[in-house]
Amino acid sequence: MDLKMRKIFYSTRSKLIISIMGSSFLVGVVSLFVGSQILYKSVLSEANIRVSSDLNAAREAYQGRIKLVKVSLNITTIGSGFVSALKQRDTLELQQRVGRLSREVGLDFAGIVTDKGNVLCRIGPDPVPDERPRPANPIAELAIKQRVPIAGTVVLSEAFLSSENPALAALARGSFSPASHAEPTNEGEESSGMALAAAIPVFEQSEVIGVLYGGILLNRSESIVDGVRDTVFLNERYKGRAFGAMSIFLNDLRISTNTVARDGKRAIGTRVSKEVKDRVLRDGGTWTQRAFVVNDWYLTAYEPITDIHGNKAGILGLGILEEKYLDIRRKALSFFVLITAAGTVLAFGLGSLLAGRIMDPVHRLIQASRQVSEGNYNPEIGPISRGEIGGLQKTFNDMVAALGQKRVESEHQLLHSVKQASVGRLAAGVAHEINNPLTGVLTYTHMLLRRKDLNDEVRSDLETIAKATERVRKIVKGLLDFSRQTSLHREPAEINRLVKSAVSLMENQALVKGIRIKCEPGQDIPMLTVDWSQMQGVLLNIILNALDATQPGGEIKISTNSFSSATGMNHKGVEIAITDTGSGIQPDNLEKVFEPFFTTKEVGKGTGLGLAISLGIVQRHGGTIRVQSKVGEGSAFCIWLPVEDDDD
Amino acid sequence: MTTENTILIVDDEGIVLESCRRVLEADGFKTMLASSAEKALEMMAHRLPLALLMDIKMPRHDGIYLMGQIRERWREIPVIVMTGYPTSETIAEAAQMGATTLISKPFTPDELVETVRRVLKKEIRPVFSSEG
Repeated sequence: MDLKMRKIFYSTRSKLIISIMGSSFLVGVVSLFVGSQILYKSVLSEANIRVSSDLNAAREAYQGRIKLVKVSLNITTIGSGFVSALKQRDTLELQQRVGRLSREVGLDFAGIVTDKGNVLCRIGPDPVPDERPRPANPIAELAIKQRVPIAGTVVLSEAFLSSENPALAALARGSFSPASHAEPTNEGEESSGMALAAAIPVFEQSEVIGVLYGGILLNRSESIVDGVRDTVFLNERYKGRAFGAMSIFLNDLRISTNTVARDGKRAIGTRVSKEVKDRVLRDGGTWTQRAFVVNDWYLTAYEPITDIHGNKAGILGLGILEEKYLDIRRKALSFFVLITAAGTVLAFGLGSLLAGRIMDPVHRLIQASRQVSEGNYNPEIGPISRGEIGGLQKTFNDMVAALGQKRVESEHQLLHSVKQASVGRLAAGVAHEINNPLTGVLTYTHMLLRRKDLNDEVRSDLETIAKATERVRKIVKGLLDFSRQTSLHREPAEINRLVKSAVSLMENQALVKGIRIKCEPGQDIPMLTVDWSQMQGVLLNIILNALDATQPGGEIKISTNSFSSATGMNHKGVEIAITDTGSGIQPDNLEKVFEPFFTTKEVGKGTGLGLAISLGIVQRHGGTIRVQSKVGEGSAFCIWLPVEDDDD
Repeated sequence: MTTENTILIVDDEGIVLESCRRVLEADGFKTMLASSAEKALEMMAHRLPLALLMDIKMPRHDGIYLMGQIRERWREIPVIVMTGYPTSETIAEAAQMGATTLISKPFTPDELVETVRRVLKKEIRPVFSSEG
């Protein structure tokens, strides 16, 4: 039993804990997935916005550099002495001016050509070349042709570069390493160069007298990309690698970059992936997506570079390491996992505490119930809790108290019946033994009384003997009535009629004594099957006792009620209550009134068997008699009879 | 064989036997006395009484046994059962065995004579009365 109880207790407890933990865990897991997804998406969109805006910044830097070249060339052409030097074809003067300009601005190539395209002077190893045909100078030719200043990106042939400066051609020819995702290259393509350049035509009376040109070769140039890295990305590093990188492509070939290849060098000569090339160079769109760049996944943005002729000559590309954002996601995930785990642990603690608070009183109640079943009617159930559990505890206490009370009462009743039964058996035996000699006494006395020759004194004595013997006979008969199992002749009876008949039999006697006798029949009293004459005898006996106990002017009330048994079982029945305003019964005597031979009446007035016999009759009907009394106020005898037939 | 006016009284108590004898003889009956069931049967083998007055509770063979024996041989003879302790069981049993009526001890001479006369006049009361 103990083990079983424990099992139930613990299983309820663990159910409580598990349900609390489970809900916490579930909420945690759901928020883990939903939350981390939302967080990652917002981080990703933030990153994409950043990469786009960074690309804008990079383009601004690129365009800014173009503008710088154009403005500085322009200033040079309007400088005092430049136009006159040009008119006079003062090569030395022009050469000095161009040289100063290119040093200040950092131009890789610069020079002045005539309106026919012949080079007047230039920087580099061959400053004043002879008249033999020169390779085409696309930017100067465009400025002559359109007679306006031109600035922008320009693709330069190897021939032009080597004529300007063989070192530049060598830079453009720079080696390239095949990177994954890159398309195979066309031979010789990489020997071209790409430059930021400007050309300013100089006019004399609306005639072009010369063009100043200059530019910065982008191949292997570091200044633009590193400038962007330093200003836009603030040279941020992530896990030992640069967080952001910028590249400039000639077609799909990376010619200037700060993306680092596996060997630690700049990844010059690698190619952009085919998807990017198609999207940007072929379709002229921008690309903003994660892309595999050289050796890492980047969040990237690409846009086409348009040259001075309006052709898509290359790509401006920018990327930030995706890993940083993956790490943010990973961190968020582990944070959520941690929260979920902590929540579950907290739920366990809280659940145990809560389950303990709920289950401890219940456990105590279980133990108390066991104690009650073992006969302890004062079990310890611990402090009374608040709420429903407290209600349960209070109800339990009330129930146990009532149970204890009932138990005491029923034990008392049982003891009483046992005592009564043994007294009854004894009485029966005694009565039987007395009856034989009593037969002799009665017979001989009466035989003697029949004689005619008796004097008055003897006759009087004999009559006394006869009377006394009659009394003994009555007592013995009463004893036998009390002890024997007189069979009941039961028939359906209206209890109110039975009560009224008993009352009317006693009315005259009450009237003589000056006592009011009142009958209060109840409503809806069910029919009972009873032995009419025996039950009437019971009522008469109790009413007689009440008359004896009540003084003139007092009152006796007999009422009937539909009433459920007080002894549990919820048995329906009828209660007949006989209440008087008499002298009452001493508390000490209350328990003895149903005992045989107990009487408070004068000697010779009562046999002391009336109530004992009455109780016997009522009990054989399956009923009970209760008595309540207060000395000086009166007594109440309540006869309860069940509706259904009980076994006799 | 029937002896006129003779009542056989059966009881293990001498005082009861003697009391009944005095009462009945004073009223003009003749009596035979037996202190046990066996003696009663022995007497009846010689002389058949007009009626029997017998105790129900006796040592060894009791009144119930005697009733059984009598009813086997003499169906018609009236039997008055005396009892000092009339329980519903013994009354029912005696009635089943064929007792004519029952009288509770103690009784007065008048009650006894009245009962015997009624039995002989066949004014037999129902045996099941428990009113004594």
